[in-house]
Amino acid sequence: MSVVTYDQLRVLYRTLLVLATVGVVILAVGLVEFVYFEPPGQTSGAQAHIDGVFQYSPTSGAVSGPDRSEFGRTEQFAARVDWASIPAGLTVDARWYDSFGAVEGEVGPGSPTDLGGQPLVPVTVPQGFHYVLPGRYSFVVERLSNGVPVEVLGRRFVVVDRS
Amino acid sequence: MIYTTNPPAADPQSRLRPGRYGIAIVIAAVVVLALVASSILNYVYLDSIPSRASLYGLLAVALITLGTYILVRAFNRDRAIRRKQLIRASVLIGLGVLLWLLLIDVFVFTQSAGPAVAATCALACLPTTAFGLFVVRRMDRNHKEPWRLVLVAAAWGAIVATSLVVWGETIWESSAQHNLVPGPGLDASLAFMAGILEELAKGLAVVLLYLVMRNEFDDIVDGIVYGAAVGLGFNFLESVSYMTNLYSIFSAENYGAVAAGLQWYGRQVLGLFFGHATYTAFIGAGLGLARQLPGRRQKVLSIAGGFLIAIAGHFSWDAWATFFPIQNTLFGLVEIHLRTLIMTGPFTAALIALLLSGINYEGHNMLEQMRKEAASGSGAILAQEVPVLASPMRRLRQRLQAFERMGFAGYLKVSRLQTAQLDLAMERWHRERQETDTPFEAEDQLRRRVLELRHWIATG
Repeated sequence: MSVVTYDQLRVLYRTLLVLATVGVVILAVGLVEFVYFEPPGQTSGAQAHIDGVFQYSPTSGAVSGPDRSEFGRTEQFAARVDWASIPAGLTVDARWYDSFGAVEGEVGPGSPTDLGGQPLVPVTVPQGFHYVLPGRYSFVVERLSNGVPVEVLGRRFVVVDRS
Repeated sequence: MIYTTNPPAADPQSRLRPGRYGIAIVIAAVVVLALVASSILNYVYLDSIPSRASLYGLLAVALITLGTYILVRAFNRDRAIRRKQLIRASVLIGLGVLLWLLLIDVFVFTQSAGPAVAATCALACLPTTAFGLFVVRRMDRNHKEPWRLVLVAAAWGAIVATSLVVWGETIWESSAQHNLVPGPGLDASLAFMAGILEELAKGLAVVLLYLVMRNEFDDIVDGIVYGAAVGLGFNFLESVSYMTNLYSIFSAENYGAVAAGLQWYGRQVLGLFFGHATYTAFIGAGLGLARQLPGRRQKVLSIAGGFLIAIAGHFSWDAWATFFPIQNTLFGLVEIHLRTLIMTGPFTAALIALLLSGINYEGHNMLEQMRKEAASGSGAILAQEVPVLASPMRRLRQRLQAFERMGFAGYLKVSRLQTAQLDLAMERWHRERQETDTPFEAEDQLRRRVLELRHWIATG
């Protein structure tokens, strides 16, 4: 094997190792990001009581029927949160996320006392659409610290059928 | 036993089944076990129609596995039984693929969007994926990989790799969604999931090719070609899956075709070479380099490095693509392109740099070997043929001249001669670097084949 040839191979090898190092840095940044938004030891012990998810009428602003975990796509729905079940000193909010991870309805942030007048958190229909999009929706009541959600105090999942 | 191979083994120290075959068998067994376990667990715990497809799909996976095994073995047999083995392998792989596609179409895609939409999406993705495979294979300007292996790699990416990740991703995703705070933390977790599980599943195909098809896995360029082919196969099935899913979500609002079309453009046009193809090509680059590196430590670092870059590239896209929101305006179309270019572009650029450097390295060495072969006076490569063989354009011109003189048969004959001559140069290169376990007679056999082909052309 000639020296020149071996040098070329070595250059390729070293380039790959440099790129791998960049890869390690990227993954490390990802890990830091994960820890920042999901800090360890953030357990307040508090739990939010979610009464349920009910069919919702946007015109009357009221819910009806039983607690459900599945809805037709022409139906609108809202979660009802018992804000009194959360200790008063916390900063909290409640959000609906659709299957793409987009926020589709929220209440807060504020103290549970402030939010007491808003027990219903409806899912909003995306702008330009007639109904909510089908898929799996998750509803969370979150505790915030320095403006960043750090703990989920209550969670519900709802499926919106395609038909 | 020695004479059952083609070319026959002469070196008494050379074993027909080197140690790496054992590793390959272990990996294949683990893959099959993982698929079986995944399918059964899907069926028992998920109890949905797609998970049933996963269980029924085991038969298809078994057929493809058996077919691939026979296919790979066929090329270690002499010609008399090779043809029979090839036909057997083709039938099994064909049946497996058809069965799998049938299951996917009927149980999964048709469930959400109907068979017509599923078929349309698959048909829309076929030409672009075929184009991608064509381009990827042609990237190896000096010594192209056989279509059968490129297609096997793509089929693994589409069928086996996608099946392998189903259960792992289901557990990870479900656990994350039940325990993490929605937002960037959850996104990062899911991005780690996709990066690690999908790149490992795709990378296994390249690892198996590296272990079993050593004669067709020459260097970094070959690794990039196989890795990209696996990525393109994975991208094909993922595109069909996303397109049908989005169609079914948005069809009630009359945006189904637009959503599926945009997804097709994003994955099959804009992201064809940027996404999965780039990531898995890095795994191939690591394995291809390991093929030629002398030390065990260097080999391990090279392979691990390839996997690391692939996982990191995949992770960065999945985790941080949302940091570049796309506006709902005309400028959004520009933003889609910019996002891909900014986020995946650097990875693709780095891969292209590795590829070009690899092609240069390979070309330089093959030229040197062709010159040495010409100087040896064996007649397999003549001195005046060296510049032609070293240039893809001049090789093409020579084939076209043969086409003008003797038609398509002439074109094929010259093509075979050129391939055999390049094979010989490659074999010489590996032997000189002491990185081949085929016997010396293999080189002589290649030389005789070149002379035979030259004789056919002269008499044709």
